[in-house]
Amino acid sequence: MKDEIEELERLLLAWEEGELDQAGINRFREILRTSERAREYYLQMQMLEVALKLEGEAGLGEMFQSDKPSVSLSEQNSFFPLKQGFTWKSLASLAAILLLGLLLGRLFYLETSEGDPELERLSTLENYPQQASQAGSLEATSQGVALITRLVEVEWADGQHPHEVGDALLPGILALDSGLVQIEFFCGATVILDGPAELELQTFELARLASGRLRAQVPPAARGFTIDVEEMKIVDLGTEFGLAVSQEGTDVQVFEGEVELHPASASKKILNAGEAMVRNAQGELSPSTASSDTFIDIATLEQRDQQQQEARFQSWQRWSQAFRRDPRLIAYYAFDEARQWERKLTSSVEPLDHNLDGAIVGADHTPGRWEAKGALEFKQPGDRVRVQIPGEYASLTFLCWAKIDSLDRWYNSLFLTDSYEQGEPHWQILDTGQLFFSVRASEKADKGPAHRPILSPPFWDRSLSGKWIHLATTYDVKSQYVTHYLNGEQLHRERLPDPQLVPITRFGAATLGNWSSPMRPDAHFAIRNLNGSIDEFAILSEAIAADEIQEIYFTGKP
Amino acid sequence: MNQAEKTEQFVQQLAKHQNRLYGYIFSLLGDHARTADVVQETNLVLWRKIDEYQPTKPFIPWAFAIAHFQVLAHLRDAKRDRVLLDEDLAETLSREAQQKVNSLDSVTESLRNCLQKLAPHSSELIQKRYFQGNSILQIAKELDRSVGSLKVALLRIRRQLAECVQQNLAEEGES
Repeated sequence: MKDEIEELERLLLAWEEGELDQAGINRFREILRTSERAREYYLQMQMLEVALKLEGEAGLGEMFQSDKPSVSLSEQNSFFPLKQGFTWKSLASLAAILLLGLLLGRLFYLETSEGDPELERLSTLENYPQQASQAGSLEATSQGVALITRLVEVEWADGQHPHEVGDALLPGILALDSGLVQIEFFCGATVILDGPAELELQTFELARLASGRLRAQVPPAARGFTIDVEEMKIVDLGTEFGLAVSQEGTDVQVFEGEVELHPASASKKILNAGEAMVRNAQGELSPSTASSDTFIDIATLEQRDQQQQEARFQSWQRWSQAFRRDPRLIAYYAFDEARQWERKLTSSVEPLDHNLDGAIVGADHTPGRWEAKGALEFKQPGDRVRVQIPGEYASLTFLCWAKIDSLDRWYNSLFLTDSYEQGEPHWQILDTGQLFFSVRASEKADKGPAHRPILSPPFWDRSLSGKWIHLATTYDVKSQYVTHYLNGEQLHRERLPDPQLVPITRFGAATLGNWSSPMRPDAHFAIRNLNGSIDEFAILSEAIAADEIQEIYFTGKP
Repeated sequence: MNQAEKTEQFVQQLAKHQNRLYGYIFSLLGDHARTADVVQETNLVLWRKIDEYQPTKPFIPWAFAIAHFQVLAHLRDAKRDRVLLDEDLAETLSREAQQKVNSLDSVTESLRNCLQKLAPHSSELIQKRYFQGNSILQIAKELDRSVGSLKVALLRIRRQLAECVQQNLAEEGES
């Protein structure tokens, strides 16, 4: 019994030091599950730990310099600098500060955790497995054995998660009905999978081809890269080879270097460049000759990829030309000005109105979703595009193609109005990866909460870093709903209560990719620059439907 | 009671019970960074549910109920990360943790006395570990001592403090 408590103590200390592995955690839980005394002791120690922390923050520790920033209780409590006797006015502003303070904190899954089944169904949290790791203090980790680096005309098989270029692949099956996928294994081997095919990725240097054709290019550094097929192992010794698996059997062809064949039923065989080996359904091996043309190589894939990109770019251009004349447009920037020296962001709304042109400050031109398309990159705290948008509106839709490198600020701006007066919207991303939309509701700060921000669940994590994503938010005055979208899919939908619904919206002076509010005294909020690029941005005077947003996403998808 | 007074009372209650909420949530998560997150989530949910707040009823059971829910949600969502307790254990410990945390103020007070009774080198170790937030490894380097010996020392001091605090609480209960 006593030993158990001692073990518990040791495990707890290891946990606090961040040294406890899963086996240790399991043992820890087992002790707690089986011993009431251990539970009692654990809670007692935790209470002591909290008391020590409180004591440290209450001043005892103050004479010692802390060199490690930690979340402090007293900091949280500083939202409540009150004890007794204050007026409603100070309370109202305090309440506003409280709310603001709470919102600045790291909020996770608020909507889903409140248990609304509709929200749980709508949120796509489970597609973003990495986000939770940002909550802990552990080092960021990522999983995968390979990356998808090219996709050409791919039709995924039923039930296969539709991957995008840049996705990291976990061990598991990759199945396609047609098209070509280029996969780069973390060991350095590149594989072109030619559909229909089914490849099971096992480790960063091992995969099993169940059916279909592939061509593997294995540089010397990746020697030892192995592909299993039924009853045979193919070990690459630094080379290029083709492999086809069908019901008739297996066909291995070596184009360069050499590979080792390890048939289950026979001894090892070496195949040199130009040689090939066919294994029929009966398991009989017979030599053959290699013909490189029957397997698509990287250069050909590259060519076909570029043709596909070109076609997609042209199809977006056609759509964009028509979209420019959409009478619902309030502002539209297609970023098709690729001249490096240009410091003006031309408005794309037709008929042309140069008053809507934006002024580029700091941000650099960079290629957009396609090599030939322009974009602006926001990097420095000062980078921004200033715009001036006149008029008054009701419902709104915001659309934006962005590539986010990282979320460095509490607030990372997409589009922010300068002074944030009544009726002015703010559209941004929190450092927690949540999309944030609000319209200033009250006229002055001391009249209750200034606004009701609508936050999506966290959608962004490091796995989306550097990828072009499509963000959209609609503000519907009639139905009172605010809806967030990511890549054409609804992320979150929430109804605004009456007092927070503003029927008339306006913009005036505003900023893309940053916030321009130098006059504000709370200057520590003022740096909200995006770390990333934008290559298309539009505001419409209507809350457009989900299927239209989805269509816009599919047309503009790189 | 009008709306303003109700809000005032709510904010006061929320402020007053921050430490207890922290203590309760920490007991079930065992991680300060996560606890800070979940306390904030809980605050926000409470704030959003201010309409459900009834000034005539005790604040803390209501706040605990919401905190409990937030903790479970957090454990569920953090599945891919290492967490100390699973949902079942958190459920099992929840009620007991709520009871324990009600005496947090007295624990803190008696801890203050107990810290004074520590030997100077023990007190130094507690300061480095808890008030400056150093890891054992850092302290070991700083003091040029082995990690193992520091762990043993730290476990001993903690046990000593826990016993001292328990004794104070028991005496308090008698008087």
